[in-house]
Amino acid sequence: MAVMREEDLFTFVSNDSIESEKIIAPRYSYWRSVFRVFFRKKANWFVIGLLVMLILCSFLIPLFCKYDPYENVTNANMYNQSPVQAMRLTGGFSFKWILGSGQLGNSIFYEIWASARTSLLLATICAAINMSIGIIMGAVWGYSKTVDKFMLVVYSIIANVPYILLISVLVYIIGSGFWSFVFALTITGWLGISYFFRTQVMIIRDREYSLASRCLGTPIPRIISKNILPFLTSVIVTLLATELPSYISMEVFLSYIGIGLSASVPSLGRMIQEGQAAFRTYPWAFWPPVAIAALLTIILYVLGQNLADATDPRTHM
Amino acid sequence: MGKYIWKRIFFSILSLLVVTWLVMLLVYSLTDRSVIFQTDDVWNKRSNNDRILYEYTQYQKYGYLEFENFTNYNKNRWLAVYGEDFDSSDEYVDAKNLIQKVGDDYLQNPTVQEFIRTYEEKGYSIVRLDPIRYTTGAKQLKPGGTGYLLAVREKMMISRLWDYVKGFFKVETTKDVKDEALTDRYIRIEKDPYGLFAVVGSGTTHKYLIYFDSHFPWIHQNWIHMNLGVSFTRYRGQEISSVITDSQGDLKTKRQQYPAQVGSDIWADTAANFHSLTYNTGELTDAQKAQFPDKYTNATYRRTGLSMIGNSFVIGLIATVIQYIIGLPLGILMARKKDTWIDTLGMWYIIFIMSVPSLAYIFMFAAIGTSVFGLPYKFANAQVQILAYILPTISLALPAIGGTMKWMRRYMIDQMNSDYVKFARAEGLSEHEIYSTHISKNAMIPIIHGIPGNILFCLTGAIITESVYSVPGVGSLLTKAINGHDNGIIIACTVFYTTLSLISLILGDILMAKFDPRISFESKGGR
Repeated sequence: MAVMREEDLFTFVSNDSIESEKIIAPRYSYWRSVFRVFFRKKANWFVIGLLVMLILCSFLIPLFCKYDPYENVTNANMYNQSPVQAMRLTGGFSFKWILGSGQLGNSIFYEIWASARTSLLLATICAAINMSIGIIMGAVWGYSKTVDKFMLVVYSIIANVPYILLISVLVYIIGSGFWSFVFALTITGWLGISYFFRTQVMIIRDREYSLASRCLGTPIPRIISKNILPFLTSVIVTLLATELPSYISMEVFLSYIGIGLSASVPSLGRMIQEGQAAFRTYPWAFWPPVAIAALLTIILYVLGQNLADATDPRTHM
Repeated sequence: MGKYIWKRIFFSILSLLVVTWLVMLLVYSLTDRSVIFQTDDVWNKRSNNDRILYEYTQYQKYGYLEFENFTNYNKNRWLAVYGEDFDSSDEYVDAKNLIQKVGDDYLQNPTVQEFIRTYEEKGYSIVRLDPIRYTTGAKQLKPGGTGYLLAVREKMMISRLWDYVKGFFKVETTKDVKDEALTDRYIRIEKDPYGLFAVVGSGTTHKYLIYFDSHFPWIHQNWIHMNLGVSFTRYRGQEISSVITDSQGDLKTKRQQYPAQVGSDIWADTAANFHSLTYNTGELTDAQKAQFPDKYTNATYRRTGLSMIGNSFVIGLIATVIQYIIGLPLGILMARKKDTWIDTLGMWYIIFIMSVPSLAYIFMFAAIGTSVFGLPYKFANAQVQILAYILPTISLALPAIGGTMKWMRRYMIDQMNSDYVKFARAEGLSEHEIYSTHISKNAMIPIIHGIPGNILFCLTGAIITESVYSVPGVGSLLTKAINGHDNGIIIACTVFYTTLSLISLILGDILMAKFDPRISFESKGGR
C-alpha cells in the first residue's frame, strides 16, 4: 500500500473574508428551548394529558350523545334521581346516568360535558379577544405619552364602574346568549390587561437598548414588535395563565348571582346555581359540576404557570 | 404633601362625578324603565289613563322626567285670577269639560292654547290622553278612563346628576318643619331628660342633633345626613342610607321612661330610642300628649341585630385581621423555606384558592363546617348568634390568606437577592435577624398599600359568602338591585363603592409614604 503524501490528504482552502466574520455558537431556538424546559418536568405530561382528555370529552361527547334537557320532562319519576335509581329506572347500567338525573330528569353526565364545552369555548374566545386587544392597546398606551395621558383618565373612570353592573346592564340590553355574553365580558375586560401591560412596556421602553434603537432611527412599530414584545413573552403567558381560568370562574359567579348565560345554553355556572339550593339532598347534581369547574381552572392555571416559567429565558441554561 | 393630597382629592371628586354620570347614563337611558312596575300593586290596581298618569307620576318621582298635568295648571291659573271661587268661573269649567270630550275640540280653548304654548316654549312635549268610554259617545267613562292633557319633558342627564349632588348632603335647619303652629324655632345646647348635654333643635326634623348615650360609639348626631337616594323597587320609596344602616332583627325592649314622664313613677317597656325623635305634623293623641313635652313624638326602635352594613363589616373586618395575622407569617415562612416541602404545600394551597371558583370552595367549607364541626349553616337558624358568624368569616378569610401569602412570598423573594441582604449576611447577622427585621420590612411596603382598601371594602360585603350563608348584609344589595331594576340602589352602590375605592387609594398612598421614608409626594425638581 502506497503511503499517501500530505498533499493528497489535505487541500488548501482559500481565505474567505466573509466566512471568517461569522461567529460560531451553539444553535439556539427560543421556542424549542421553551418546550424542552417545559417537557422536562414529568408533571406537565400528566397535566397536559388530563387537559387533552377533558377537551376531548367535552367536544366529542356532546357531538355523539346530544344533550337534551327536556327528554324526560314528561316523566316525573325521573326527576332528581340518584345514579343507582336512575339506572334502575332506565334498565341497567349506562354511562348516561352515571351521575344521576337533574331537576327535569335530564342526564347530568351529558349536561356536564355540554357545559364544560361552553366554559372552554367562552374562556378561549374571551381570553383571545381580551388578550389581543389588551396587548396591542397596552403597547401603544405604554409607548406613547399622549395616549397615556388620555387613557389614564379613561381607565380611572371605567375601573370605578362596578364590573357586575356593567356586565349585567349589557346582558340586559343585548340579551344573554353566548355571543352577547362574550361581548359583555370583552367590552371593558381588555382595559385591565392593557393597564397591566402598559406598566411593563414603560419599564422596557426606557432601557438602554431601546434607546439605542431609537437613536439609530428604528420606526416605532418595529421597536414595539422587535424590542419590547419578545421581552414580555413570559409576562404575556403568565397573564394568560390567570386570564383563562378567570373567565370560567367569572361565568360561574355571574350565573350564580343570576346574570349569567341564558337557560338555553348549558353552562357549569347555572348547573352549580341550580344544584346549590338542595346540595345536601341531591349531591350528585351539585358536586360534579363543581369538580369539573375546579379541575378545569386548576389545570389551566398550573399549565399556564409552568409554561410561563419555561418562557423565561433564564431557565433555558 | 398637603398640596399633592388636595390635588388628588379634587381629581377623585371629579372622577366620582363622571362615574356617577356614566352609570346614570347606563341605567336610565339604556334599560327598560317600565320594569319598575312589575311588582307594583298600585300600578296593577289602576287601569287605562289612570295607570298611564300613575306611571308618569312614578317616573317623575324617580327622576326620569318632569311633567305637568293640565288639570293642575287650569286650577292654579284661575285660582290666581278669581281666588277661592275659581271653580265656578266659566273659563275654568269650559277647559275642564273640553278635556273630557273625545276629539280635538279642546285645542280651541284659550286656556289649553296658553298651556300648550307655555310648556312647548320650555321644551316640553304635549301628551293627550283621550277619555275612554264604554262605547263611542256614551256618557259613562270606563274605570280610569278620565281624559288628561299632560306636558312631559325628559330629564336631562346633567340636571339629574346635579339634583343628586345637590341633595347628597342634607343639613338640618330650623326651617325644616313645615308647620305654621310651630313658632318657637331654635338650635341650642340643652340638657336632655336623662341629664346629659345635647344639641337640641326646634323646627329641625330631628329633635336631638348631637347627643350622648350608652350605645356605641356613645356620641351620635342627626344633624347632617348623607342622602344616597331612594330605592325604587326593592325597598319601595325608602331611603337607601337608612336601609343599610338601620338595625335589623327583633325589637330590643327596655324598661325606660317617656321624656315627659321622667321623674314620675311611670315606667314603660318599649324599644323606642327617645333620642331619635322626629316632628309629628299630625294631631297628637292624649297618650302622646302625656308622654312627650312637645310635638316631637316619632321615635325609631332599637333592634337586637346589627344593621346590614354592620353584619358585613363585622364579618369582613375579622376576616381581614385573620388574613394578615396568618397570611403574612406564612408568606415569610414560605420564602425562608423556599423549594422545601413547606413552600410546595403553600404553593398548592395558593393555586387551589386562586384558581378554583370561589363558589366551589365556599360550599366545601359549608359542607365540612356543618357536618364535622356542627356549626350553624344558615344565619337565621343559628341558636347562638355568635356561632353564625364563624363559617362566613372563615370562608372569607381562607382565600384572602392565600392572596396575602402569595404576594408576601413574592415580595420577600424579590428582596432576598438585594445587595443589602448580601451585605447583612457578610456582616454576620443571623438569618433570623435578616428575615424579620430587614427583608420583611421592605417586603411589607407594597402590602401596606392595600390595607386601607381591604378594611374599607369590608363595608361593601361579600356577594357569594353572604348569599350562601344567608347573612343579612349589604353584599347582595347591588346584584339584587340589578335583578330588580332598582336604579336608586344601583346608583347609590356605585357612588358608595367608587368613594370607597378612591379613599382607599389615597389612604394607601399616605400610609405607604409614612411607612417608607424614601417615598415622597413632593416633586424634587429635575425631569
